[in-house]
Amino acid sequence: MDLFLQQLVNGVVLGATYGLIALGYTMVYGIVQLINFAHGEIFMLGGFGALTTYLTLPAGTPTAVALPMMLMGGMFVSVTVAVLMERFAYRPLRGAPRLAPLITALGVSIALQEIVRNFYPNAKTARVFPQLVDPQQRFTIVGDVSISAPNLLTVVVAVVGMVALSSFVRRSRTGRAMQATAQDPDTARLMGINTDRIIVTAFVLGASLAALAGLAHGLRFGQVDFRMGFLIGIKAFTAAVLGGIGNISGAVLGGFTLGLVEVMATQYAPEPFAGGAWKDAWAFVVLIIVLVFRPTGLLGERVSARA
Amino acid sequence: MIYLEIARSRVRSKLGPFALPIGLLGALLLAIGCFLPWSTYAGFPGKMLNSTPGGARLYVLLLSLFAVLFLVDWPGRSKALRGTSLFALIITVLTMLFVGYAGGGLVNCGIGVFVALVGALLYVVGAQALPEDSAPAPIRNLPDRGWRTLVETLLVVGAAVSALLVFVIGLGIPTASVAEGPDRRLGGAISLNDLTNESQFLCFLLFVCAAMLGLSRIGLVASLGALTKKHSRVMVAAALMSAVVFPFTQGGDGYSLRIAASIGVFAAAAIGLNIVVGLAGLLDLGYIAFFGVGAYFAALVSGSVTSVLDVDLPFALTIVLAAAISGIFGILLGAPTLRLRGDYLAIVTLGFGEIFRITVNNLDGSAGPSLTNGPNGISNIPDLALPGGFSFGDNHTLFGVDLPFQANYYWLEVILVAVVMTAFLRLAESRIGRAWVAIREDELAAAATGINTTRLKLLAFALGATLAGAAGSINAHVVKVAAPDSFTFLESALLLAAVILGGMGTVQGALLGATVLYLLPEKLRFLQDLRLLVFGIVLVLIMRLRPEGLVPSKRRQREFREPGGGADALAAPPGRAEVST
Amino acid sequence: MNLLEATAVTKKFGGLTAVRDVDLSVSEGEVLGLIGPNGAGKTTFFNCLTGLETPTAGTVMYRGKALPRRPDLVTKAGVARTFQNIRLFPNMTALENVVVGRHTRTKAGVLAAVGHGPRYHREERESEEKARELLAFVGMPKVGNELAKSLPYGDQRRLEIARALATEPGLLLLDEPTAGMNPNETAAAAELVRAVQGQGIAVVLIEHDMRFVFGLCDRVAVLVQGAKLVEGTPKDVQSDERVIAAYLGKAPEDLKAEKAAEKESSP
Repeated sequence: MDLFLQQLVNGVVLGATYGLIALGYTMVYGIVQLINFAHGEIFMLGGFGALTTYLTLPAGTPTAVALPMMLMGGMFVSVTVAVLMERFAYRPLRGAPRLAPLITALGVSIALQEIVRNFYPNAKTARVFPQLVDPQQRFTIVGDVSISAPNLLTVVVAVVGMVALSSFVRRSRTGRAMQATAQDPDTARLMGINTDRIIVTAFVLGASLAALAGLAHGLRFGQVDFRMGFLIGIKAFTAAVLGGIGNISGAVLGGFTLGLVEVMATQYAPEPFAGGAWKDAWAFVVLIIVLVFRPTGLLGERVSARA
Repeated sequence: MIYLEIARSRVRSKLGPFALPIGLLGALLLAIGCFLPWSTYAGFPGKMLNSTPGGARLYVLLLSLFAVLFLVDWPGRSKALRGTSLFALIITVLTMLFVGYAGGGLVNCGIGVFVALVGALLYVVGAQALPEDSAPAPIRNLPDRGWRTLVETLLVVGAAVSALLVFVIGLGIPTASVAEGPDRRLGGAISLNDLTNESQFLCFLLFVCAAMLGLSRIGLVASLGALTKKHSRVMVAAALMSAVVFPFTQGGDGYSLRIAASIGVFAAAAIGLNIVVGLAGLLDLGYIAFFGVGAYFAALVSGSVTSVLDVDLPFALTIVLAAAISGIFGILLGAPTLRLRGDYLAIVTLGFGEIFRITVNNLDGSAGPSLTNGPNGISNIPDLALPGGFSFGDNHTLFGVDLPFQANYYWLEVILVAVVMTAFLRLAESRIGRAWVAIREDELAAAATGINTTRLKLLAFALGATLAGAAGSINAHVVKVAAPDSFTFLESALLLAAVILGGMGTVQGALLGATVLYLLPEKLRFLQDLRLLVFGIVLVLIMRLRPEGLVPSKRRQREFREPGGGADALAAPPGRAEVST
Repeated sequence: MNLLEATAVTKKFGGLTAVRDVDLSVSEGEVLGLIGPNGAGKTTFFNCLTGLETPTAGTVMYRGKALPRRPDLVTKAGVARTFQNIRLFPNMTALENVVVGRHTRTKAGVLAAVGHGPRYHREERESEEKARELLAFVGMPKVGNELAKSLPYGDQRRLEIARALATEPGLLLLDEPTAGMNPNETAAAAELVRAVQGQGIAVVLIEHDMRFVFGLCDRVAVLVQGAKLVEGTPKDVQSDERVIAAYLGKAPEDLKAEKAAEKESSP
């Protein structure tokens, strides 16, 4: 029983990361029907940005100061790249057949990975990330079930981030404009909403959350790698679809669900398909099952007619 | 772009009347420069020293011949001249830099290159000063005389042979070792030594692009295209003949044959993918998995010591079974997923591809049942053998010419490509091909017109899978190993890029795309580390500048260029019924 | 037996009932007009007949057998349709568009296509000939090689009809065939419908042009707010007070009162 609960906890931690990144996918897809393949790389860049910030901080900076600064640094990188990406790679292709932005996103994803691999010092293999939050420190939940400090931090910031985004979208003027644009871009424009700026906002918000996830990821694993965005990106997209693409609550729900499924499958799947080597395969299986049987997702999708 | 126009009109207004003399003088100087030495030391590839131009000097000389267009007011000539003169200048400057770098300084360049430089500059200015011209008027038919058919046939054969010649020459351009001293790195990643050693091929590439650009801008490429369409049987025969004859020209050396055979496999797979993506409009990001299924099957039954199965099937049977098994996988995968909209289908197929890779990686006896030997894969796959004892690993002699064993696999690939090409072309021009186009244009209307869209999409998907399986099974014997690392998402992306870059919906496009994507990384090794980066950037650029690809089908060109006219199923929103009234 | 027998067809979208309990029968070779104000459910009704929508209730029988629920099977059974906002294949030529219509009546599959056997050649030739005949039939013999998207509007409508006819239907459903047409084109369209009828094909058309409908149709049915209000000969329907009221927006009783008031006030 304790094992089950522990895996539950692990699943929630995993799901927190997926959820944060899924929000980025879902917002962008809801408005421009584009699977931003490169969003996983935004997450990766956030991690690297945080690392770079750390390296420029003077030694002995207290963690309480270092962490927010690293977050800022990571967000700065992620958001900048996301905005540039939107402006120069995606915006010119708004009216084109859907194949074009998809391939472009693919190209951007590959290019970003390679830029980091080639031009970031020593990035050809994983780079060590400072574990400012001690992974040895664990908090007991009940019985033998515990959660490590960085994992707890991940869940906490993820929830904070999701709640913040949710209330922003639901209550603020910009948020309402985003919802309007997602439902009917033409009419939104007629109502005086600058849809271009709304789209950029979606990218910015998604990138910020991805950077947050990147920092958390680095803290948990003690390393960042130029490849870390690819797989997590696809899984996060799976989570977004699982919850209902375009649906913000859906992305959150999908994230946690996918995290739980992945952990549980790894633990409890019938031999010989259990075990860590198969975990990614299970995530893909979930993706396929969701898309085949319930493409609108658990909470229903919120996509506009093509702009 | 607008600044270019402004600059050009300024040049035109000041120098307009002198365009002819300036341009001609420039071209003349350029040509003369080509006969003078371009380096003061021996050893730089491309015969820089003696008076017979070779390598870069030859390319630039040929480009200067376009200057005859200054004298003839041919529609499209201004654009053509602007392009060729610019490329001539670029090649000259680059060669000068390379020769200088390898020789230890620009002083070690021969006088010829400086003369050529001046000539090239004048050539460029002269071309820019020409007035704007009318649209190119391709000649679609020669005047109707008795000799017309003969001449047209000869032209078509010539075109086929020239295409092959270009390929062969490019393939054969050696990497020199002229820059051997201490290396410098451009941007920290590009080795200047490597770049200089491979500069010959780079210049050749630039030359080919320049020549194609020039010829197409005066409408000759379109004319040739029309002719080859008209005499398509001749074209096909000539191309086939050239391909078959190729190994005899290699003087016993297997290097180029090996590359050509690999390009053949890549091209066959690309054409197969072209059926799925180009004809039926289904985006498959996991295509390599079908290739892998064929490869692993062939590996398992090849009698290799590392295979868990103690079977050695005759090859003909292997191909057929591999193709069939892949086809079945295609049906199994496609049946539940092909009704998804475009981008979802893309992700799902990507998922399948990854599941395949992870599975074969794990079936090594510890993480899963032992079948595929895990990450190491199945190796030591023996050479193919025909009944009667002939092994594909043997060299042999034919018609008195020594043929390396790579020729055997090369010819097998030629047959494979020919089969796949035929299948593609015939399908495209058939009832089924039309139905695929209809589905791409408007899936709802296609269904209302009586087309069983599900079945036809599945057909395309399964056909693509079958062809990939066949290609994969052959390839297993060429590379002698089947391992999970060969079947990554990146490989699927490369195949897709070949289809898109070459031009969706045409066979020539897929061939060209496959050649470019295979050959360039192979020949331009200085880009070694940056290969993938360039690949990513190329993808972005193609979509921005020429999304229909290099050799698109007319239909695809219309879809991408002209708004308001349908596109693939990827653009259609999920089935919306008619509303109102 | 009637050619088409639709019984109690109902279609609900959540809380909205778009089509309410509609009965409609079509006899061989007749031309039936379906009219009604905008939003009355006419196109939705068509969609229910042709498998684009699945009716919430009711049955649709064609030649005594229930019509399948898939659009391509409906066409195969012999019911073809055109669309309100013309759905041609824009980047295919006019000829190709019509040839695609032959798909369901031809058989050449993969083997025939790749093998280029005798069946392939024969079918290709026959399909092309038939397509040319149909283009001539609808009055556009010379536009075969024009791209569908570059044809003038009226020609596009006719092309859509030609494509539908290529499927050899027994019943042709036309959704607003004269929308956006000038009087000349409308007259030509009427001629075309009569010619189709002359081929033995029954036609049901949704229309707003009353002169077109009443001059052409054997019978007319009126749909208002999803339900069938009235059905009968053009003359009957034209003079039916309820129809007039539906179009003018008044309840029948008020209309009667108005008429009575008019009679009194005029000498």
